[in-house]
Amino acid sequence: MAKEVELDCMGEACPIPLIKTEKALEELEVGDTLIVLVDHSCAMKNVPEWARKQGHEVELEEVDDGEWEVYIEKMK
Amino acid sequence: MAEEKVRTSSRASSRGGTEKRKKKNQIPIAMIIFAVIAGIGVWLGFKEETLLLYWLLGLAFGFTLQRSRFCFTASMRDPYLTKSTSITRAVLIAFAITSIAFTAIKYGYFINGLAIPGQSYIAPISIATAIGACMFGIGMVIAGGCASGTLMRIGEGFWMQVISLFFFIVGSLWGAHDFGWWKRTFMLKAPKIFLPDYLGWLGGLVVNLLIIAVIYVIAHKWEKKHSDGLSH
Repeated sequence: MAKEVELDCMGEACPIPLIKTEKALEELEVGDTLIVLVDHSCAMKNVPEWARKQGHEVELEEVDDGEWEVYIEKMK
Repeated sequence: MAEEKVRTSSRASSRGGTEKRKKKNQIPIAMIIFAVIAGIGVWLGFKEETLLLYWLLGLAFGFTLQRSRFCFTASMRDPYLTKSTSITRAVLIAFAITSIAFTAIKYGYFINGLAIPGQSYIAPISIATAIGACMFGIGMVIAGGCASGTLMRIGEGFWMQVISLFFFIVGSLWGAHDFGWWKRTFMLKAPKIFLPDYLGWLGGLVVNLLIIAVIYVIAHKWEKKHSDGLSH
C-alpha cells in the first residue's frame, strides 16, 4: 500500500525545502507520495522543477495565499 | 495572486479528500494598495517628474522580479545544487541585453560629444572584488536571497527575510566603514578597465557578448550532462 508522507517546510527559505525534499524522497518507496508544504515562493518553483527533472510525478497547488503543497509521487 | 499552476495527472482524482481552505478575498486590499501607489505617484509627479519615473521603474522592476521568480541567488546556486541552469541562463540573457543597451546609451552620448553617463561606476578590478564576490555569494545562499530577492520576499510577506535585510544593512554599514582601507590597500593599485578604451566600442561589446555566450554554452552543457546521467 502506497503511503503519503507530509513534509513541513513552512517558514524555511530556499534551498532548505529542496534539500529536505531530496532527503525525504530517498526514504520513500516507489509509488509513495510526498507532500511538501512550502511558503517560500522560490521553493514553490524549484522543488517541483527538480522533482520533475528526476522523473517523478509532480503536482502543485496553492492551498492558501502564498502557501503551496507540492505533491511528489516517487516514480523510481 | 490566485494564479495557480496545477498540473493535472492521472492521480489527481485520488486525492479528493483534501479539503481546500477558503482563501481570503484580496481584491479590497489590492485596490487600497493600488490607490496608495497611484497617490504617491501623483505626489511625486508634482514634486519632480524624474521621481515619478523612478517610482514607476522601481514598481515595474519589483513586479517583474516577483512574477517571474527571477532569482540571482538561484542562478548561482542551482547549478551546484540541482544542476539546473535555466535561471543562470536567464540572468546571462539579461546581462547580454543590458550590455547592448548600455553600450548604445553610452555610445549615443559619446558620438554627440557629451559626457558619457555612468562612467563613475567603472571601478577598478582588484582582489577586493573577488573577496567581496565570494563573501556575498556565501551570504546570499545562507540568507535565501540577494539584495533584490530579499526585498521582494519581504514584500511577499516572508518574515524570516527581514532578518536578512537587517544584517544586509549591518553588513553594508560595516563595508562602508572599512571602505577606505579596501580602497587604499587594493583598489587604487588595481587596473581600471573600460573595454571600449581598449577594443573600441564595437570590439568591447563583441568581447562582452562573446564571454556571455561562452558561459551560456557551458551552462547549457552542464545541465544537459547531468540530466543525461540521471536516467540510470
